[in-house]
Amino acid sequence: MLIVAPLAITWVAAAALALLDGRRRWVGWLAAAALAAATVSLAVLTVTVVDGDEVEQVVAGGWPAGVGIVLRADALGVVFALLSLVVVLFALVHEVVAGVRTRGFPALMLFMATGLTGLFLTGDVFNFYVFFELAMISGYVLSAYGGETRHYGAAFIFAVVNLLGSFVFLIAVAAIYHVTGTLEMAVVGERMTEVDPSAAIMIAVGIFVAFGVKLGLFPFHFWLPAVYVGASPAVAAVLSGALANIGAYGLLRFGGELLSQELALGATVLIVIGSASVVYGAVQALSRRDAGEVLAYSAIGQAGYVLIALGVGGPVGYAAAVVYAIVNSLNKALLFLAAPLRGWLVGAAFVVGAFSVAGLPPTGGFLGKLELFRAGIDAGSVALVGLLFVGGALSFVYMFQIYQYRYWRNERLSDPSPALLRAVALTLAAVVVVLGVWPEPLLLAGREAAQNLGAGQ
Amino acid sequence: MTLLFAIAVGVMFGSGAFLLLKPDLFRIVVGIVLVANAANLTLIASGLSRGVSPILPLDGETPSDPLVQAMTVTAIVIGLAVAALLLSLAYRVYTSHDTVDLDELSHAEARRESELEREEVEI
Repeated sequence: MLIVAPLAITWVAAAALALLDGRRRWVGWLAAAALAAATVSLAVLTVTVVDGDEVEQVVAGGWPAGVGIVLRADALGVVFALLSLVVVLFALVHEVVAGVRTRGFPALMLFMATGLTGLFLTGDVFNFYVFFELAMISGYVLSAYGGETRHYGAAFIFAVVNLLGSFVFLIAVAAIYHVTGTLEMAVVGERMTEVDPSAAIMIAVGIFVAFGVKLGLFPFHFWLPAVYVGASPAVAAVLSGALANIGAYGLLRFGGELLSQELALGATVLIVIGSASVVYGAVQALSRRDAGEVLAYSAIGQAGYVLIALGVGGPVGYAAAVVYAIVNSLNKALLFLAAPLRGWLVGAAFVVGAFSVAGLPPTGGFLGKLELFRAGIDAGSVALVGLLFVGGALSFVYMFQIYQYRYWRNERLSDPSPALLRAVALTLAAVVVVLGVWPEPLLLAGREAAQNLGAGQ
Repeated sequence: MTLLFAIAVGVMFGSGAFLLLKPDLFRIVVGIVLVANAANLTLIASGLSRGVSPILPLDGETPSDPLVQAMTVTAIVIGLAVAALLLSLAYRVYTSHDTVDLDELSHAEARRESELEREEVEI
């Protein structure tokens, strides 16, 4: 029953809060409390699943397995669900403290949390699509949040590009159903090995394009900077820290578990596109001065690392992809929340994020980079290790460029931000540091999550 | 029948993709709706089987595949919600910028940015 709790709490709370005026402070805190309760129940579930090494499964409506819609919690799903809920929670608390500006904001954040939890915990391909749309539609509405007129244009482009990706995914779902006759992920994975290779490759390409758009990979990235620049910090943090997880998770789940043969076949393509993303993102970020723009291009580059790790494959590669995706989403959330703040210790929070993006100890980013290097050495490719090093060095340069620009030049010009806002950013920074100095949980999560992937290779 | 569906889906997806490339916001919305319905047709076509309607089939009757119909209904609802959301966004763009032309929007954006930069230099 533990698996239903986070979903039910956020869903009911979202529906109830949609009727209330979210600009009132107590409504915002109520939403944060509901989300915190869901996060705690999900954390308990994560510990049982990762520690006990078992898969929790519930079939909706009391139907026998194979007929009803399956909710299942394996290590990969719960780790991503917990990560996304933590990011949404931090962003929500940040915005409630700063003052919510539209009445729907808390309810939308909860709807997004519902969609994210649902899609990470579902065992059904079509249900994945439904929850995915729930999370994305909340994302489209949130991207217009902020009240400035120029957001509407960016939100429109964001919605259209991502909808095209969603419908391509829906067509791939239809194709999966046609060739395998089932929608249950576990069964799809088994039957996919016997499917006609040309059909399987078409499906794999459709799914790759759909999640590539979500993740903002190099050829599909053009919508991303326009949305992140000028978006309110909480929304940017949620979009890049929580919603982008869908792309990483989708590639791992569909590529690693359901279509592992096709993934192995396309490994070179993935590594080439990932490398292009890394180089393009870093070079573009280097040439920008605005913190939002630098972080947006940095997000494109960081997504490339996940793809490279996925292309390397094997237990080491998949574990690296999971660890890097976790660290990256926390980094982005921290940086987007900390960048606009001013005052005592804010620079420290930002610099933790900057260290983490560059992959320096004692932050969580160091572990992510370490796992990537291990994957690169495992693949035996000198070029790949060189690229990882150059990418890390470039991210060090662009991160400290904005650090210097923002904190050394005009620190004294503006008033310090409220202490509570700074406390939120510092707490998130503390999480990133703790993951770095106490690495066992993160590495264990990565290993456990990668365990079931790539079985068909 | 499958061929007919394939042609219909192809034509709808192609027209939708063509409209998506237009610089007019409302044409883009129509394009997305066409693509959404192409996806719905694909869903129906993925489990195309002949039979009686799948509500309590009597003995000896084979029902058609109910799963694709359930999926398509869900997808239609999602498509409708998305179309409404896109139209409202397009309307917000229209009321705030007095245009639905993407080229004009980006010109206005560029003008605004250069004004902002000039202000910053003056400060």
